[in-house]
Amino acid sequence: MAEAIQKKLQSELEKYQQMQKDVSKSMSARQKLEAQLTENNIVKEELDLLDSENTVYKLIGPVLVKQDLEEAKATVAKRLQYINGEIQRYETLLKDMEKKSDQHREVLSSLQQEYQKAQGRAVGKV
Amino acid sequence: MAVNLTELSLPQLEGLKTQLEQETEFLTSSIGQLKVVQTKYVEAKDSLSVLNKNNAGKQLLVPLTSSMYVPGTLNDVEHVLVDVGTGYYVEKDVNDTKEFFKRKIDFLTKQMEKIQPALQEKHGMKQAVIEVMNIKIQQLQSQQASQSGATKA
Repeated sequence: MAEAIQKKLQSELEKYQQMQKDVSKSMSARQKLEAQLTENNIVKEELDLLDSENTVYKLIGPVLVKQDLEEAKATVAKRLQYINGEIQRYETLLKDMEKKSDQHREVLSSLQQEYQKAQGRAVGKV
Repeated sequence: MAVNLTELSLPQLEGLKTQLEQETEFLTSSIGQLKVVQTKYVEAKDSLSVLNKNNAGKQLLVPLTSSMYVPGTLNDVEHVLVDVGTGYYVEKDVNDTKEFFKRKIDFLTKQMEKIQPALQEKHGMKQAVIEVMNIKIQQLQSQQASQSGATKA
């Protein structure tokens, strides 16, 4: 009896650890997005300060390619939109995961109690 | 703070201490990184002063690699190419560029000013936790001493 519960406990624990790993993975992905968002916001601010006299170049590999200011602005705006969308997506994902891992924690603690009870009974029989 | 430090157990305090240590370390390294970047901007801004009318047309040596130079003439003293981030470079005149660097330097100063109080707060909290830990350890030791004294008697 106690052994069966122990096995279950172990497998549940592994599942929980895997879940925690996923959570931290998503967290760091989100942080990276946040950094990209900040950088792109800074670029947007700079581009907004320019007028048509300034020439904009885009670094593609090792070469600088001349680019239209409006085009650059549009690209950065699109990028910002995409990053914001991604952050939102990760936000809901993380919330979902947190809820799941909370539930899982409850399952784990109830299993642990069961296991302890079962162990206590086994000792009592002896 | 909502939690009373004296009510926490020693292992809990230990955990709290490590956490606060990590946080202070992170904030300190952040400030360090900001300072490094700021110095870079200051240097770049200073080197702009070479680009003035007096130096136009002068000879100079251009580094092709770190160990090889080729002679050249300073043709354009009015325009520079600035990296504004994410692979975009903008051609600006010297004054605009100076303003650009000034903006960046001010921005970094502001960020550092934002981090500084947080760092101080964390540091103060760490200090408080260490103090409470010391008190607890002393209590524990005197308890043990009196117990062993009691058993001897």
